[in-house]
Amino acid sequence: MKKWWMAAALVGLSLSLFGCGGSNKPAEKKEAAKPADKKITLNVYAAASMTETMKKIATEYQKVASNVEIVYNFDSSGTLKTQIENGAECDLFISAAPKQMNQLDVTKDAKINPKKLDFLLEGTRLNLLENKVVLAVPEKNPKGLKSFDDLAAKLKDGSVRLIMGNSDVPVGQYTQKILAYYKLDEKALANQGLISYGSNVKEVTTQVKEASGDCGVIYGTDAYSAKLKTVGQATKEMCGQVIYPAAVLKKSKNPEAAKAFLKYLQGADAMKIFEGVGFSKVS
Amino acid sequence: MDWFPLWNSLRIAAVSSILVFFSGIFLAYYVARLPKTVKGVLDVLLTLPLVLPPTVCGWFLLIIFGLTHPVGIFLQQYGVKFVMTWYGGILASAVVAFPLMYRTARGAFESFDETLAWSGKTLGLSDTYIFWRIRMPVCRQGIIAGMVLSFARALGEYGATSMLIGYIPKQTATISTTVYQLWRTNDEYSAFIWVLVNLGISAVVLLAVNMLEKSSREKRLRR
Repeated sequence: MKKWWMAAALVGLSLSLFGCGGSNKPAEKKEAAKPADKKITLNVYAAASMTETMKKIATEYQKVASNVEIVYNFDSSGTLKTQIENGAECDLFISAAPKQMNQLDVTKDAKINPKKLDFLLEGTRLNLLENKVVLAVPEKNPKGLKSFDDLAAKLKDGSVRLIMGNSDVPVGQYTQKILAYYKLDEKALANQGLISYGSNVKEVTTQVKEASGDCGVIYGTDAYSAKLKTVGQATKEMCGQVIYPAAVLKKSKNPEAAKAFLKYLQGADAMKIFEGVGFSKVS
Repeated sequence: MDWFPLWNSLRIAAVSSILVFFSGIFLAYYVARLPKTVKGVLDVLLTLPLVLPPTVCGWFLLIIFGLTHPVGIFLQQYGVKFVMTWYGGILASAVVAFPLMYRTARGAFESFDETLAWSGKTLGLSDTYIFWRIRMPVCRQGIIAGMVLSFARALGEYGATSMLIGYIPKQTATISTTVYQLWRTNDEYSAFIWVLVNLGISAVVLLAVNMLEKSSREKRLRR
């Protein structure tokens, strides 16, 4: 009997400790008097390809606005858009392609925004960055790939396995455009087992790094950050311009703080960090 | 509709289950006979994949069999590659399902009445005969339970499988990874069909096992 009481007491104690920990925080918030110094948490949903740069920028932003804590969610823009659509709390959304942003933009027509979603705060959408799509290979480049043309040729005769993002991932969508440019049938290639799909660009990057495939199509910035060798860069004709739009969301609880952070992202300090890995201002 | 994932999932689950069945019962039998400390340590190691999240298991498998790591590079020279191949799925499913068979078999063997084995020995029967014809039939219920659990776990494996063999249509796609991909690419209709297929398989397997148990029970009662 004694043992049961001791166990129950232990469980009760630990639960109450958790309760205490939780209840302390609101008390502290009320004591931080001035509204200007109020601690704000900004939920920023950004494309996976921005992981390294955005984290660095958040550290820099701390020096400028010490009361703002930035909490990130990095994933494929398609996943992020689905999360936002299903009610996730987000203040600022940066997507790796206009498509995902368009699907949340009520000003776009029904073909582009079929569900007529209205998530963007008016007047805050802008084109933040431009990136490049590249062909990356593992360290030993086992199939000796030299360019996108070479990749197309080797896909046609079935001698290479390509890793790409799936059709919900922006970099996957850019890859589909490149395949179409070379008049390759993605479905046919997939049926021959020549394509492996990743669910975001970081997964594709890791798989290329681990040599799980012969090559992968990722962004120049990811190749730089993962120190991967690249053998080709996609031109405008192959996949269009790679634009990263950004917007504050309507449901944001701190729209002013979100707008301020977005402004900072366009400033010289942030741009220096972005350009350091291969991003550029939209031309 | 591409039915490859059905064939792939079934063959991965079937082969994993066979591997896990034999390794599970043999290890359960031998580990029970080891000294206490060794038994304790081995128990923890062999049950670990059950407690670890599948993604952690997948991570461990990758750092052992990945193509940029020693074991993976060594095996690749002989043409054996567990990454991005369908038999890599067997490895992942077997590792994750093993503890289920092992622990269930251990439990069954430990509640086995040893006097039956000893009587067999006094009659001059070999250890192999005693194991397969006395120990196993008596522990049948536990063993069958272990088999069902490990088959089900192998069929439903997602985390470790996805990390080790990825998603290559017509090569390494399983029902679990296919449903995820179809959901991600907004093909809800196809995803739903796969969900129904999976429910169907599970129902058939469980019904078959139930019927097996019933008939074995009736056979014993009739004797």
